[in-house]
Amino acid sequence: MISHPYRLRRRSLLTGASAAAVLAAAACGDDGPAGTADDPIEISFEWWGDESRAEITQQAVDLFQQRNEGIKVQTNFADFPTYWEGMTGRMASRDLPDVFQMDYSRLRQFGSGGLLLPLEGVVKTDDFREGFLDTAKLDGQLVAVPIAGNTLGLIYRADWFEAHGVPAPAPGYSWDDYKSAISTLTPALGEGKWGGGDWAGQYHFMELWLRQQGGSFYTEDGKALAFDQAKLAEWWTTSADLYTAGMVPPVETTIEWVEGGLVQDLLASEIGWDNFMPGYSPTVEANGGTLALAAPPSLDPANLGLYLKPSMQLVISGATEQAEAAAKLVDFLLGDAEAIKILGTNRGVPATNTGLENVEIDAPTQAVLDYEASVSQYLTTPPPAPPAATGAVEVKFGEIYQQVQYGEMTPAEAAELFFTEAETLLAAEQ
Amino acid sequence: MSASPSTAAPPAADEAGATAAKDQRKRGTAKRRPVSRRGELLTGYTFMIPWIIGSLVFTVGPMLWSLWLSFTDYHLILGGDFIGFDNYTAMFADPMFGRAVKVTLVYVLLAVPFKLVASLAVAMLLTQKRRGIGFYRAAFYMPSLIAMSVGIAIVWKALFAKGGPQDQFMSWFGWEGGGFIGNPDVSILMLVLLSVWTFGAPMVIFMAGLLQVPGELYEAAEVDGAGRWHRFVHITIPMLSPVIFFNVLMETVHAFQLFGPAFIIGGTAGGPAWSTLFYTVRIYALAFVDLRMGYASAWAWMLVLAVGVVTLIMFRAAKNLVYYAGEDNR
Repeated sequence: MISHPYRLRRRSLLTGASAAAVLAAAACGDDGPAGTADDPIEISFEWWGDESRAEITQQAVDLFQQRNEGIKVQTNFADFPTYWEGMTGRMASRDLPDVFQMDYSRLRQFGSGGLLLPLEGVVKTDDFREGFLDTAKLDGQLVAVPIAGNTLGLIYRADWFEAHGVPAPAPGYSWDDYKSAISTLTPALGEGKWGGGDWAGQYHFMELWLRQQGGSFYTEDGKALAFDQAKLAEWWTTSADLYTAGMVPPVETTIEWVEGGLVQDLLASEIGWDNFMPGYSPTVEANGGTLALAAPPSLDPANLGLYLKPSMQLVISGATEQAEAAAKLVDFLLGDAEAIKILGTNRGVPATNTGLENVEIDAPTQAVLDYEASVSQYLTTPPPAPPAATGAVEVKFGEIYQQVQYGEMTPAEAAELFFTEAETLLAAEQ
Repeated sequence: MSASPSTAAPPAADEAGATAAKDQRKRGTAKRRPVSRRGELLTGYTFMIPWIIGSLVFTVGPMLWSLWLSFTDYHLILGGDFIGFDNYTAMFADPMFGRAVKVTLVYVLLAVPFKLVASLAVAMLLTQKRRGIGFYRAAFYMPSLIAMSVGIAIVWKALFAKGGPQDQFMSWFGWEGGGFIGNPDVSILMLVLLSVWTFGAPMVIFMAGLLQVPGELYEAAEVDGAGRWHRFVHITIPMLSPVIFFNVLMETVHAFQLFGPAFIIGGTAGGPAWSTLFYTVRIYALAFVDLRMGYASAWAWMLVLAVGVVTLIMFRAAKNLVYYAGEDNR
């Protein structure tokens, strides 16, 4: 499961609060056609995240309500797994919120059932940064708008790399280079710390590895896996020698982790989403370390397999009776300078130009922007939105790889089982 | 309470209550004119309406719906069509079915006997006439009130974490397996222990049963020179057999349905390495992760069927094993 970064930024919060106060004084009544202050339209807006995200989101929503007196927004939030469990049930009963936060892996699951409102001409689409809208379309139809984007990278402890004489990873370095870096770091760091984490259990990383070879995880139509069992077995052995040598943390240890290894001061590097870095930075700095961001290892220096993925999206329910008010809220959250200031980079670096111009950028966020600029030449066309079963396939992928880590199955046996399971899941939605 | 003269307080109180109620009923009918049977029925059903509606809407209705779903390939988003018995046949080709059944059976076979032995042992201690026995009864019952809660499951997780109390304690004796949480060979024991720790309900029932065993049987046996062990095997166990049977039945049915703690400790994936992949956890994952509601319903009905068969077998076996006092002339 992808966890999402969050951060409460006091400064942007305060700016937002004062902005809200000023605006309250000069509240400009921008009433919609229906709905007045006395008889407002009600729309609902839900997202996943923690308390601090909820706090600033509520502030932005309050500002929206001040600007639009005829609209009342009911808000709600939950953590990522709970949020999707709830949405899945509500999807079955056709009871989705008017506006809600979407994840790329679930886009088809919700979008294919006609549950999402087509957004072309409904919301503003002229201000998005280049490439961001590509992943908001489902079979050519725009059904979501990105809040922020991210791509894979290697987040690493620059201080530990330097202290132990491991060169900083330069774009185009190979998986073998990365493995030898880990093999140097783990013994040097001493008992209970590791040079890197085991990457083989994450389907996103396998997708990266497949893309580096010109492949993809799913076929173009999303109805089947685009690789064979042997390929999967091969992927699951890429970290095997490190794993058996104890160079990466064993599953017995990681299964109990409730936080990432970097945050716990236990890992020197990890492949991950670049927008996690601003979230990790303060804790790592408090531990006396420095984080840096590099491209992930590659099989081919000319092809890093990277693409720009929306870290989060906003969608409007197809069943909404208040499309106009819902669209207004979406436009406000993504394109209003004051709203952007309140929301900050909590959800990642904003996807709109207005957003980018107005958001306050601190050092870790700047590092993400620099990194994305540095790999922009390597970004290739994103894969089509993954099939609806992706959420389940992702879970299964990690679950079955765990069998390999525990030595209960060989990679070949595990690959066979994964194919049985994934094919059943994909077939269930044909 | 501590100086309570009679250890037989709970049953005695019950009996007293029942008689009082009976008396009251008698007096009531004597004073009032007899109501017509129809009227009485009407009143009865009127009072029952909320529960009847509740069970129809929240239990019977959903059950019938899931029975129907089990014959379809219902997908939580895409809907589904009638496919006959395909779900039921697919189950036996499903590699996860065998695993889930195995984990569940292992749990039932470990948890039920251990829990019953523990509860019987404690019940025997707590039916002694001792000072402060009331406190101990309450104390031993307490865990079962909170055990199935999310909070306790989380505490359990901490207890059996790597470097946690269990790991530290067992390391003194040369254990090298770390915390149970990350060790698939022993992780199921965590849940067995949780179940054993919550022996409160069967314990209370055992206590009630123990207090019903006529004291003269023991006295007679003692006169005949029977030792403690013989008295236990030849008097306590036979006299207690209906209660034992009841407890075995209830605990077995419960054990098959364990979900909450397993779900919190092992997650939908039944980690580590599927060692806590209980049947119910798998049903949940099939329905709400894989979204295959039809197939999940078939699994659920298979569980109903299996528990039914197990119960039936137990009733059959009980015929020869359970001794009902007072039915000797049957």
